[in-house]
Amino acid sequence: MDGSGDQPLSIARRRFLRAGLTGGAALAGSLAAGRAAAADDPAITEIQDWNRYSGDGVDAHPYGMPSKFEAEVIRRNVPWLTADPISSVNFTPLHALDGIITPNGLCFERHHGGAAVIDPAEHRLMVNGLVDKPLVFTMDDLKRFPRHNKIYFLECAANTGMEWRGSQLNGCQFTHGMVHCVMYTGVLLKDILNEAGIKPAGKWVLAEGADAAAMTRSIPMEKALDDCMVAFAMNGEALRVEQGYPIRLVVPGFEGNMWVKWLRRLEVGDEPWEQREETSKYTDLLANGKARHFTWTMEVKSVITSPSPQAPIKHGKGPLVLAGLAWSGNGTITRVDVTTDGGRNWKTARIDGPSLPFALHRFYYEMDWDGSEMFLQSRAMDEKGYVQPTKQALRAVRGSNSIYHNNGIQTWYVNKDGAAENVEIS
Amino acid sequence: MSRFPEVALAGALIAFGFATAAQAGDAAAGEKVFNRCKACHAVGEGAKNRVGPELNDLIGRTAGTAEGYKYSPAMQKAGDGGLVWNAETLATYLANPRAMVKGTKMAFAGLKDQDDLDNIIAYLETFSKAGGSDTAPQPDENKSEAVPAEPAPAETGQAEPAAPQAAQAEPTKPAEQATQPAAEATARDGDGAGEHFHIGRAATAAEVAAWDIDVRPDGVGLPEGHGTAAQGEKIFDENCASCHGDFGEAVDRWPVLAGGQGTLKDDRPVKTVGSYWPYLSTVYDYIRRAMPFGNARSLSDDDVYALTAYVLYLNDIVTDEDFELSKANFTSIKMPNQANFIADDRFQEPEYAANRGNPCMKDCAEGKAKITMHAEVLDVTPQDEGDDKKPSSGIE
Repeated sequence: MDGSGDQPLSIARRRFLRAGLTGGAALAGSLAAGRAAAADDPAITEIQDWNRYSGDGVDAHPYGMPSKFEAEVIRRNVPWLTADPISSVNFTPLHALDGIITPNGLCFERHHGGAAVIDPAEHRLMVNGLVDKPLVFTMDDLKRFPRHNKIYFLECAANTGMEWRGSQLNGCQFTHGMVHCVMYTGVLLKDILNEAGIKPAGKWVLAEGADAAAMTRSIPMEKALDDCMVAFAMNGEALRVEQGYPIRLVVPGFEGNMWVKWLRRLEVGDEPWEQREETSKYTDLLANGKARHFTWTMEVKSVITSPSPQAPIKHGKGPLVLAGLAWSGNGTITRVDVTTDGGRNWKTARIDGPSLPFALHRFYYEMDWDGSEMFLQSRAMDEKGYVQPTKQALRAVRGSNSIYHNNGIQTWYVNKDGAAENVEIS
Repeated sequence: MSRFPEVALAGALIAFGFATAAQAGDAAAGEKVFNRCKACHAVGEGAKNRVGPELNDLIGRTAGTAEGYKYSPAMQKAGDGGLVWNAETLATYLANPRAMVKGTKMAFAGLKDQDDLDNIIAYLETFSKAGGSDTAPQPDENKSEAVPAEPAPAETGQAEPAAPQAAQAEPTKPAEQATQPAAEATARDGDGAGEHFHIGRAATAAEVAAWDIDVRPDGVGLPEGHGTAAQGEKIFDENCASCHGDFGEAVDRWPVLAGGQGTLKDDRPVKTVGSYWPYLSTVYDYIRRAMPFGNARSLSDDDVYALTAYVLYLNDIVTDEDFELSKANFTSIKMPNQANFIADDRFQEPEYAANRGNPCMKDCAEGKAKITMHAEVLDVTPQDEGDDKKPSSGIE
């Protein structure tokens, strides 16, 4: 490592340590920059405890947890965002994850009356309203319908909502962490509704949860019969309590609030119910005082997850991997472009891993960092040809009180030390 | 507005409670009463200060001394003056907090029912090492057989001693699901199995009625019933004001219910029932299914009519406190902002039209990028920040 790099890196390091976001790896990482011959590394020359002494046996962890060195990779909440943690949200640590699948325990939570704990033996799903025969299903019943496995993202309509008025929270986890993507196992909503027999006048389905908020949303019949599912498993195991155990609705590409958790009832009707979460909330107030209603589709969106404020560059100049996520409620992502100069010039990134409709897409851009400051952005395009807009363009047409559906391009400013910050630029 | 009905009703409640009372100081019953406090207070293992202080070891605690909680000056003064929480002082305080500690932050109107008071104190005693019984005598005004208030520490875990609460059928509360009508359901056979898979069974009329409580703008789903704004005010003061404020102005970041008319185009719009909500049915539906927060489905249909009427009154949509809302006149009320809701036209917006399928790749903007704004909140770490940080825009 050259002498000039020393000072700034240690400043950056102190900053990371103060922010409590680094593990022990920071020190080793910053010292290992470059290929200059180093002193003998005790990590190699000394025999480590784990190399000498036996580890835990197979009876130690009947349900495995991540290494203790990953203790910082957790969901986090921001207490002052909401009045109470029972009706609130926490955020997926996107900056520390890779691939397209979110681990079950890290999927962000958003509850309106806390997470209901339900005995599946006592759980029922009722279908009523404009149907030939109102029905009740037990969990065992539901598992007798044909099953399907699908990988879908779920994004809260308010994801990035804090940023409407400008840069707010310094971390990708907080600006974009109300999204996750898992493989759901479940049955088609269509099969359940058909079992009860939808009357011709039935144009809407009300989905209702069994939680203390008795969460309700009106789902248009066209979507209900298209690709909605009633899921009982995520990533191969039963849904987590906070994700709606024992069952939740899956509404691919539509805003997360519609994916009713702890689902207990489906009512068919000829009109929408205009519930609280589709009138007073989850409607998008425009600058002219009008409010958009039933804004279901999640628009094309992307973000660079690393580097980002919680995942700074620690290795100095040289080879650098930009990693990010892209997704669209219109289907698949066809292309992601990245820029390092704040949108003056763009390069197309490499989408790696499966490209599935309504799923997260992982992209990478491999580059050689010369150690100068960067304005990093990513811009996604979906199969319908929609291109992720800038935040300025969104504000120009929607104002800044929309709260929901902010899919604007995110900027991270990376300084010469590799520290990243959430900024807006001109 | 007149206060007299409150007095009369409180009296009636006491009489009622006395007649049907289970037992003085029943911790398990107190746990249910505590539901009304849970929105602000935590108790039990790992309880932390929230809107209100945590309540472990409350009995024997000097007022205003929960570690790390920011009390009102009034409560601190009360503690400095020697106020210590025991069964007696708590009973007085909880009956009418603002009468005992003028200036307390606690917006709760007070527990009017003596049984509720006894039970909640018994419940809180189970979380106090000091134990209630020896630090203070039971208030015994209308309890002749004053039980020696043996705190039942284990009770709180399992609670619900098979109380027959089936009548109202409240399956929204998971804790009660074990005692739900579902049990009776499994026995019946599926004569109405569907046409494709023959899975499931017919729902009974009572089951559908128990769960299908939704109300639509056209009035479909409204139950029989009625209530006046004046009646609603009393219910509001007891059940809602602790979060929503005495006049719907809201405490802390809880939802503001009233005012804000004419602000939707402002830089900081105030979205309330009166200024924003398009349909009155949503108010009825939501109160009935989910309010009060932490004690859902505890209000009668008439209560909900009264509260809905009161929310209209708070918003000046009706101006007579004797206005009575009922199933019959419900749909005649139109909300002022209904016409301002429009269909989703996002994908016709210019920012999409301009770029569609063909974004600029080279020399797309002039000059070097300049920072125009930094993140307002730099270190979003788990342990930092007090109550003083407020975001420019939050989550609803």
